[in-house]
Amino acid sequence: MAVLKASGLGKVFPGVVALDGVDLELRGGYVHALIGANGAGKSTLIKILTGYYPSYEGRIELNGQLISIHKPSDAFRYGIEVVHQEVDTTLIPYLSIAENLLIEKLATPAEGFFVRKRELHRQARQILQTLQLDMDVDQPVADLSLPQKQLLVIARAISRNASFLILDEPTASLGVSDVERLFTMIRKLKQRGVSFLYVSHRLTEIQEIADDITILRGGKKVAYFNRETFEMSKAIEAMLGAQPGKLFPTRMPITERELVLEVRNLGWGKRLKNISFQAFRGEVLGITGLTGAGKTELLNILAGCEKADHGDIILDGKVVHFRQPKDAIRHGIFLIPEDRRHRGLWIEHSIRTNVTLPFIRDFSYLSFVLPFKEISHVLQIINRLKLVPPNPEMTVKNLSGGNQQKVVIGKWLLQKGRVVLFDEATQGIDIGAKQEVYVLARELAHTSAVIFSSSDVDEVLGLADHVLVMRDGQIVGEFDTQPIDRQQVMELATGAVRTTTAYTTAQEE
Amino acid sequence: MTSDKTPTASRKAGIAVAKPIRVNLGSFLSRFFLRYGLILTLILVSLFFSIRTQAFASIDNLLDILRAVSILTIVALGVTFSVVVSGFDVSVGAVTGLAVILSTALMVIWGVPWYFAILICLAVGAIIGLLNSFLIIRLRIPDLLATLGVLYLVQGLQMSITKGDAVYKGMTNPWSPTREIAGGAIHPNFLFLGQGFVLSSEAFRGIPVPVVIMAVIALIAFIFLEFSRFGRIFYAVGGNIEAARLAGVDVNKVRMTAYVISSVLATIGGLVLAARIGSGAVKAGDPYLLDAVAATYFGFAVLNARRANVFGTVLGAIFVGVMLNGLTMMNIPWYIQDVIKGLVLIVSLGLSYYTTRR
Repeated sequence: MAVLKASGLGKVFPGVVALDGVDLELRGGYVHALIGANGAGKSTLIKILTGYYPSYEGRIELNGQLISIHKPSDAFRYGIEVVHQEVDTTLIPYLSIAENLLIEKLATPAEGFFVRKRELHRQARQILQTLQLDMDVDQPVADLSLPQKQLLVIARAISRNASFLILDEPTASLGVSDVERLFTMIRKLKQRGVSFLYVSHRLTEIQEIADDITILRGGKKVAYFNRETFEMSKAIEAMLGAQPGKLFPTRMPITERELVLEVRNLGWGKRLKNISFQAFRGEVLGITGLTGAGKTELLNILAGCEKADHGDIILDGKVVHFRQPKDAIRHGIFLIPEDRRHRGLWIEHSIRTNVTLPFIRDFSYLSFVLPFKEISHVLQIINRLKLVPPNPEMTVKNLSGGNQQKVVIGKWLLQKGRVVLFDEATQGIDIGAKQEVYVLARELAHTSAVIFSSSDVDEVLGLADHVLVMRDGQIVGEFDTQPIDRQQVMELATGAVRTTTAYTTAQEE
Repeated sequence: MTSDKTPTASRKAGIAVAKPIRVNLGSFLSRFFLRYGLILTLILVSLFFSIRTQAFASIDNLLDILRAVSILTIVALGVTFSVVVSGFDVSVGAVTGLAVILSTALMVIWGVPWYFAILICLAVGAIIGLLNSFLIIRLRIPDLLATLGVLYLVQGLQMSITKGDAVYKGMTNPWSPTREIAGGAIHPNFLFLGQGFVLSSEAFRGIPVPVVIMAVIALIAFIFLEFSRFGRIFYAVGGNIEAARLAGVDVNKVRMTAYVISSVLATIGGLVLAARIGSGAVKAGDPYLLDAVAATYFGFAVLNARRANVFGTVLGAIFVGVMLNGLTMMNIPWYIQDVIKGLVLIVSLGLSYYTTRR
């Protein structure tokens, strides 16, 4: 079995040590997990191993032989490949599965002028068969779901004889059942001697799949565990560098519970059916379910991005209708959307212009923006969000994922919202930033009803006072007494258990 | 060094951190040229022309250059608005041309008072802007294609007004069955917009009216985009339309406004052009499209803004004007001038984008 051994890896950028003397060993047939907060050096390490940097510190050995990786083709030659989180960037949507699988072949001049479709399909089918993937090779890649695309990219790497596969946050946007499928594939490939470097923020998954665990912080290797010695709390401690406080803020004693939002019988095509629930000020209402269960659709309707076919949204006792998000915002319903880069941020703009845009009228006189009023407001927000660096003119593009997410939240932070909607707000951010997002959600619950939607069941259970479980556009479970049985939530979310009524209260049943 | 074969990264970084404020002359210079390169070039080119040609450095010539670029600047500011909201309007040249023919035809052929002619033209310009935004926003036709369609439409309309004739005093009325002479004339007040001077004295010829119009429009546009909350909203729509929508911006209204501003400014440019030449030449607006787009994208490079901005567009237009004026004075043939325009655009944008990509 092939062994890739890196020792003393280091990389310095002007003023920053991105990586400092890190050792790492990838053994054939094993999964090595790499974890760390954002900025810990994970991506620098990946980039070194895949030949992105022409120069760096340290040495890399393959089976005891010193090798040099200084450009992407080097890494490719030694069988090192990376599957990025955004798989779409490496696939060509209007080409078929077969064409994408064998794209190198198509690009070789030796293959001749005409595409031999039958031969291409035969080879593609063979590749998929050995991995026991059931896909139609003639289907365009554009029609595939995200998890299917991911499996396809892995299959392509394997077909090119990759023996070291780097998976960069592979499960960031996968639902529970897709994660299981991915893990099945990983286990299968392990038996064939493939070695994995598995980069993720999700510790529960790592516990399940990883054989070795390396933890980075501030560019240094701060801890190493194997399957036996791994402990969740120690891992979190190593990542954060300090004794972790509690991951989730304490729930408030519910004294002034006030009904703010009521949804009655909401329906939207086939995507949402008979949605009814209530949200209270002073509470965090959690919504969980697999990706595609309808959570995002529901929140989009509440925020005025989409229009429901039927049903009522009742805010403070009055039925409201929204034609566009502007109307919802005027009523005090704020959305922190999924996919912050595309829907929540102006990536090329400064922190200042990002956070003041929705209420720019409040900082203007006769339509002129008042610089001092604006800046003092921005500094207040930066202060509350603990943004790093605390510079209002910083371009958002240059912030870490966690800080970017805080900027999205910052837009609404100091406004008097009635309902604040969080949609997958902790996706792709490190555990320290997650903790801060939870605290912000909890704080906002003092003044507004907070709806926190996430496909990460653990965070919803840890944070929320009251939990709704969705599946196939319906609410299939409702829990309001702590503690909530995680197993039962999972069963409802995955459809392992069929509910007879839409409403099932865990304790009452 | 032999004793320490593998220095760790931190030791190297220690050196770097110890001297954090070491002035790197190379990077300072490159950053300086990125920001001020175009302005510096403008000054150098002006100096060069001043030395080579005696007439260049005079106040009168300076104002002549500004007058020469005033129409272009006005049209380019319109293009800037559409680019700010991440759209594109290629119909501006045709709209400029339409305003030239329509305004003069109204006065000469139909004897409409000059102020009504102006108002009608502005209204028609606004309607074309609304048509553009209807096609782009409601029918969801890509902006380039929609405005290209409107370009042809407007060009055809422009020709139809006079059945393809140019408009001048004493022309035969193309709509009269007996081909009689058109009775109207272009009013001197209208001509003043293109040919007049203000603040004239015995020693000073005065400031050309087109320059004043350009300055006023540029100032308003600058304040609007840089200091008003609307500017924020316009740039927000251009930067990320979905994020703007979710932040409560009525994005369609903003885009519509941008296209209407674009067409109205193109119309104003056309009115000044008509007043300047004193007649209605056919397709007089055509060259303004490419020059206006070029000026807007020059603006990207000014102060390394990398987004459309009023200051940059004005400077870009002046830059084009200075080049052409200077080259003409140096007796460079007109057919070489486009080559030089193209080179300057490529070099300035190339430098700006290439250096920032790394």
